[in-house]
Amino acid sequence: MNQYTFAAIHRNVLLGAIGLGIVCMILTWFGDTDAYHTRFWTNFLHNSVYFTMISVMALFFIATCITAYAGWHTTFKRVWEAYSMFLFVGLALLLIVAFGVYFHWHHLYHWADEAGVQEDAILKGKSSFLNKNWYLFGTLIFVGTWAFFATKLRSLSLEEDKSGNNSFAQHKKMRVYAAVFLPIIGFTSAAMLWQWVMSVDAHWYSTLFAWYSTASAFVSMIALTILLIIFLKSNGYYGEVNANHIHDLGKFLFAISVFWTYLWFSQFMLIWYANIGEETIYFRERYDNYPVLFFGNLIINFLVPFFILMRNDTKRKFGSVSFVAIICLLGHWIDYFLMIKPGALINLQHAVGAGHSDAHGTEAGHEVAAGAGHAAEHTSQFVAGFSMPGLLEIGTFIGFLGLFLYVALTILSKSALVPKNDPYLEESIHHHVI
Amino acid sequence: MANNNHTEVIFGLYDDEEDLLRAVKAAKRDHLDIYDVFTPFPVHGLDPILGLEESRLHQAGFIYGALGTLTAFLGMTWIFTKDWPSIFGGKPYWSVPAFIPITFEMTVLFAAIGMTVTFYIINGLGPGVVNTYLDDRITDDKFCIAFDKSSVSVEDAQSFFKATGASEVNSKTI
Repeated sequence: MNQYTFAAIHRNVLLGAIGLGIVCMILTWFGDTDAYHTRFWTNFLHNSVYFTMISVMALFFIATCITAYAGWHTTFKRVWEAYSMFLFVGLALLLIVAFGVYFHWHHLYHWADEAGVQEDAILKGKSSFLNKNWYLFGTLIFVGTWAFFATKLRSLSLEEDKSGNNSFAQHKKMRVYAAVFLPIIGFTSAAMLWQWVMSVDAHWYSTLFAWYSTASAFVSMIALTILLIIFLKSNGYYGEVNANHIHDLGKFLFAISVFWTYLWFSQFMLIWYANIGEETIYFRERYDNYPVLFFGNLIINFLVPFFILMRNDTKRKFGSVSFVAIICLLGHWIDYFLMIKPGALINLQHAVGAGHSDAHGTEAGHEVAAGAGHAAEHTSQFVAGFSMPGLLEIGTFIGFLGLFLYVALTILSKSALVPKNDPYLEESIHHHVI
Repeated sequence: MANNNHTEVIFGLYDDEEDLLRAVKAAKRDHLDIYDVFTPFPVHGLDPILGLEESRLHQAGFIYGALGTLTAFLGMTWIFTKDWPSIFGGKPYWSVPAFIPITFEMTVLFAAIGMTVTFYIINGLGPGVVNTYLDDRITDDKFCIAFDKSSVSVEDAQSFFKATGASEVNSKTI
């Protein structure tokens, strides 16, 4: 079967998941005790960024494979093309956050508080990049550019199905688009991760952060690819995709998990070793107040894939590889949770502690407000939805996952599952790794 | 394998790896006991047809790596807490994050050297070792199937090589 039909039962399950997500988001909105609805907005930002990054990593990997003359993925490259089309939805979701910055719907970012920035030397210094115009411009133009390349690569691939021949005209064009896209994604993904995620902790920065969070998204993308391919195979599709392809995806899951660990550790160790207050604050906060997630993150995202996928046969057996893929998908979602929630909670406590009152006027007042914020945070170790993902967070995640898969499967049902006339198709069908 | 007992082998040379793969399959079908197969490069799909077991070299590699991890980590722990405690940058004596890069390097070093040495020993290789070989050209452009004369008769072997299209058939004592 080379034509995927989006079965009604799968459609209903995914619509149910989306419904659950919407219900959870509504419950979060009304359950929020603060005026900024920070728990709702952090969930929204967290999941939007997570799935947009998964989608752009799929596009990045298509472009990488084309540029590297790689052919092993050709039989299932439609899955990545389908993932990359989620960028349009991701753009819409992140534009909501960007307009939120513009119109002060939320207080996710300390730098968005213009009065506060004027009193804060560090934020003032960063204000040429961390400002609402840049945030909106970056989201709109950069993600728009990614979506443009995604559309272009997919439409060329579909055109190749129809009219491809031995001159490989479409593939040659794809090669140009892929090569142009790679430097663009290199710079823009870093810039957008600084804006979306790192600037939640606006005083803090790390030059490794973009690499680290991109590696996290890449692992999630590979994990989701493995799971979707195994799901499609179990429904009788993709007979051409076999244990050899899953083995290679498993190798990527293993290798990039190790790469992620390397970056996680490098970022931690350099900051720990230098021991400069404004750098260590990021880890101090997570180490003291989120120890379970902080170390759990490392265990499930490093030790589990490392020890389970170390052997050849565990990468080839669908059971073991999909087990690790599920763990990694959730693990890296928790990784993004840890990047966003602690900083957002501090921002909230600053805003509430300062209350935009008269204490806010002076530098000393700012310190008092900060102290009050920290005191509040230390008296209550557990803050629902911030210290640990609660049921509403998990429900929201299921909703976004449902949306992502709904979009991907809808796109997938619109074209042949295995591309025709691709120059690397035969290579991929006969792919053998051992 | 290093072997002091001389073995009389009869071997056929093929010009193409596809011919070799077909011949190996035919030998398996005819229940001819293959002594060994030599190719100038790894031929895809040959191992499963020959029924070779997965190499256990990587298991040895894991053990060497784990030894490296323990040596480095326990070594540094002992040095910096018991033998010669020193304070660097105000950090505690037992500074685990600072040990990690060295532990990683030692793991890689132990695994790499251990696996190389193990590979050399089990294959009877090494500097100054003279190895017997069947034909120079099996390191260049010929693909070779060899039979032990004690388990496969010369007539059987010759008719097999003829049937499967070997370009040359020779005998040698190794």
